[in-house]
Amino acid sequence: MERAEKIGLAGAVAGHVVLFGLLSVGFLDTPEAMKPKQAPVEVSLVKDVALEAAAPAATEPPSQAVAPETGEPQDAPPPVPEPQPRPEPAPQPAPAPKPEPAPPKPAPAKPAPPKPAPPRPAPAPKPVPQPKPRPKPAPPAAEKAPAKPAPARPAAAAAASATRAPPAASKGAGKTPAATAARPRGGRLGSDFLKGLTAEPSKARDSDAPPSAARVDGKALAAIQQAIARQIQPCADRQVDPGPGANQIVTTLNLRLNRDGTLSATPTVVRQSGVDDDNRRYARRVVDLGIAAFKGCSPLKLPAEYYATANGGWSNINYNWKLR
Amino acid sequence: MNPILQTDAATLSPIALFLQADWVVKGVMLGLLLASIWTWAIIIAFWVKLGRTRKASETFEQEFWRADDIDAFVKTRGTADLPTARVLAAGVTEWRRSTQGNRIDREGTRERLGTTMGSAVAKEIDQLSDRLNVLATVGSVAPFVGLFGTVWGIMRSFTSIASQQNTSLAVVAPGIAEALFATAIGLFAAIPAVIAYNRFSHAINRIEARLMRFADGFHATLSRQLDGER
Repeated sequence: MERAEKIGLAGAVAGHVVLFGLLSVGFLDTPEAMKPKQAPVEVSLVKDVALEAAAPAATEPPSQAVAPETGEPQDAPPPVPEPQPRPEPAPQPAPAPKPEPAPPKPAPAKPAPPKPAPPRPAPAPKPVPQPKPRPKPAPPAAEKAPAKPAPARPAAAAAASATRAPPAASKGAGKTPAATAARPRGGRLGSDFLKGLTAEPSKARDSDAPPSAARVDGKALAAIQQAIARQIQPCADRQVDPGPGANQIVTTLNLRLNRDGTLSATPTVVRQSGVDDDNRRYARRVVDLGIAAFKGCSPLKLPAEYYATANGGWSNINYNWKLR
Repeated sequence: MNPILQTDAATLSPIALFLQADWVVKGVMLGLLLASIWTWAIIIAFWVKLGRTRKASETFEQEFWRADDIDAFVKTRGTADLPTARVLAAGVTEWRRSTQGNRIDREGTRERLGTTMGSAVAKEIDQLSDRLNVLATVGSVAPFVGLFGTVWGIMRSFTSIASQQNTSLAVVAPGIAEALFATAIGLFAAIPAVIAYNRFSHAINRIEARLMRFADGFHATLSRQLDGER
């Protein structure tokens, strides 16, 4: 081996060792890539998923200004002709200080006590349970007694189910303390009494339906559509595809639903799309299949608060029916 | 942790790549590493040798053409370790042999001088270009050897994918990286080898041409001298 070759071999080995060492200590390493920081971001979807204005609409009118015994104003007119037939009401208790239509009163024992508390005790042995024991402080107490149920009732009226009952039960009691305490008979107060309150009977809802949301938004509608699709899926799967191209027909069916989810009417076709020359003969069949699917899989279980709202609900909803 | 010993697949450490490899790929890598070392040894040796030869030959030729007495010059400088000196020595030796006798065959002597110096030039060029074939071989074969290691390693990676039922890049990447390392070493050895082969071939061609010119000149000198002899 020549001298030049020795030099060459030594140089080559040295060069390779140096390169090897440089690579080993990471001379050519790509710098560590910056790992993206993943700072947790709290995302709240409450506004998007919650019901919009979920509180039930306050549709219940306030209490009446006029006592519910406005039915008795038929009795009230008698006061006008009263002077003449004065002696007639024989069963009428003497202590009646005013030409009040007493006969019906005794039955609803409650309202009686308020005003004529002291004279009452004698002619009315029935109302004994109430203000009897106390002679003088009785009026206030008695006044309180009928007053109490009154405040309670408006509160109870909030519950929709109770709204109808109170008028029936409180035939003789009236609804407000004022009505009961200040006006023991069916007479009227001044027309400006409790201004703003209607004299009409309460129009509270007569069903026990759950409160409805104020409005239905797009997300809720989409959710309803999906719920319908999911629930009729078993029946939709049972429908036989009538022929090629039939599954391209999209039929918009109008559904009329009852509150319990049953169909209140046969679904009707609003429009049909995707019909071409090839599948035109299946168009009618597809509609029938869709109606059959809805009939087979009703009642639908849908969120009750969206049954009927200010801007629609699933009581009357369009659904795009399509064979799969 | 010693950086040399780290076997983290995410680094470019050659030792890590080597240790993770299959034994076939390891063999390929080792062979290519030796080839690379050998290639560079040859390159450096050629560099040193050719550079020195060219310079020394230039001065030798200049001194020779300036010399008045060829015999004296050959006596003092003829033993130099140079192709030119050996060609000169071969010519002088043949000249002495041919002119020893009483009768001189001029044509035969001219022919013998030419043949002798031509073969001396060829011998010198043969010696100079020894090992150049190694560069040629490494330059043409090393990429294929590296490619073989890569193909083998990638095949192994795919089998590991198949066995792990997992195609994530983290499973495939180390195997492919280590396999590609074989091709990298192959190219690392082959590229300098090819460049050096072409360059040194050219340099040796020039040296050969220079030697031939020197031999022709010396042949002409001796031929003239031959005419002067009785």
